[in-house]
Amino acid sequence: MEVSTLIQTIANSLVQSSVYATLAIGLALGFGVMKMANFAHGEFYMLGAYVVFFLYTTWGLPYPLAVLAALPIIALVGMLTERLIFRPTKGNVLAGFMATAGLTFILQVLVGQAWGVGLMRAIETPYKGAWEVAGAFIGWQRLIIIPVAILMITALWYFLYHVKIGKALRACAQDPEVAALQGISINKITLTAMAIAGGYAGIAGALMAPIQPVTPYMGHDIIIICFIIVIVGGMESIAGAVLASFILGFIHTFMTTLYDSIVAIMAGVALMALILIVKPEGLLGKVKA
Amino acid sequence: MDVEQGTIVTLIGNNGAGKTTTLRAITGLNHPSSGEILFDGHNLNKLAPEKINRLGIAHVPEGRRVFPQMTVLENLEMGAYLRKDKNAIRQDIDMVFNHFPVLKERIKQLAGTMSGGQQQMVAMGRALMSAPKMIVMDEPSHGLAPIMCLEIARIIREINKKGTTIILVEQNAMLALSLADRAYVLDTGNVILEGDAKELKENDDVKKAYLGG
Repeated sequence: MEVSTLIQTIANSLVQSSVYATLAIGLALGFGVMKMANFAHGEFYMLGAYVVFFLYTTWGLPYPLAVLAALPIIALVGMLTERLIFRPTKGNVLAGFMATAGLTFILQVLVGQAWGVGLMRAIETPYKGAWEVAGAFIGWQRLIIIPVAILMITALWYFLYHVKIGKALRACAQDPEVAALQGISINKITLTAMAIAGGYAGIAGALMAPIQPVTPYMGHDIIIICFIIVIVGGMESIAGAVLASFILGFIHTFMTTLYDSIVAIMAGVALMALILIVKPEGLLGKVKA
Repeated sequence: MDVEQGTIVTLIGNNGAGKTTTLRAITGLNHPSSGEILFDGHNLNKLAPEKINRLGIAHVPEGRRVFPQMTVLENLEMGAYLRKDKNAIRQDIDMVFNHFPVLKERIKQLAGTMSGGQQQMVAMGRALMSAPKMIVMDEPSHGLAPIMCLEIARIIREINKKGTTIILVEQNAMLALSLADRAYVLDTGNVILEGDAKELKENDDVKKAYLGG
């Protein structure tokens, strides 16, 4: 591999890892509080991309504004999912799984009905140009994803460790019954967790919209990788999800560059299998007493 | 069953007698299928746990159940979740540290990494932090060394002296009866004996069944 290709691949890995991280922490957060996996998380990401398509490309709003708008809009979608799917199916894992799996199809079909199936939505790159390092060109559009992801992860960390309701969220994840005894409303906390998960997935999709083909099915591939990340990182661990995002981001990007995307997915799954054998609770997962 | 304000009432009985279930019904973790639970004129039967906390009842659960990956201070803060009076909360944290000086030394330690006795202190401190009128305690002495049991008993008495009503569930009937003002003996869900704790301690049936002769 040439030096310029190596730098290019490292930069791509960092960008890819950042996107994974913003998605995976939301998934881990939801799982921590509800002990339920949200299969529609990838569709939140897809909807985020469509927010940019709609507000930026169709309406002509400035790109940063369109990205910011994805946060409250998809957070609302997350809250509705909590209220209409997770809360009614609480305590019934199978029903919850089926319902969110169903939601993925509903959202895909709805978006397909509104904007067409199989059509790539061409979104003009708002930040043209590239940063040239040692013969490698790293597009600004990709580069801005890294600081935004760092900002989002830091904000979530601050929320969970320094804000009262964030601490209550951790308490709920550790022992919901005892959290309720302290006067914490579990329903409000799960609603908060799903708002954050949705909003973060929305931003991730919004950031990727000018880079990736925007289709109703774009959430599908990335969500499989995010599930692998969350399992490798240790299901409920936010730090584990971030760490695993970077490991998987690098493995995936390098494998795709050197071989192809099928090999990349295989490598990711192989890593997950290996981790599950050696450390079944995941890299930073805690064994429950 | 009646629990008078400012007293310590204990429920004793064998495993499966319904002691824990009774406490869980009081704080809303279970809902009673019949009967009524009244507290300060409020019917608790259908209230959610977070509403009952607001009425002034705290629960020290069986097995302590501290938030394992939160620090001692964070555990205490969670106890005060519904309170908004920052100064009073700070005073109450000091009050908890007065009861349990070891917690002050370990303020930043993750509660899950502490010994059983220290976790019990965290659980009791957390209950105190809601400034409750009444605390229900489920087996606070369970699994603790004898010295730690006496320490916990001393603190229960201290908390009660300051005016907090306590319902105490214990396997250690001797300890419970020596702390309590009144006692109920439960057997498979029914009250089979009740009365003054000092008198029950001398009751022959109670002695035979629960105090080891």
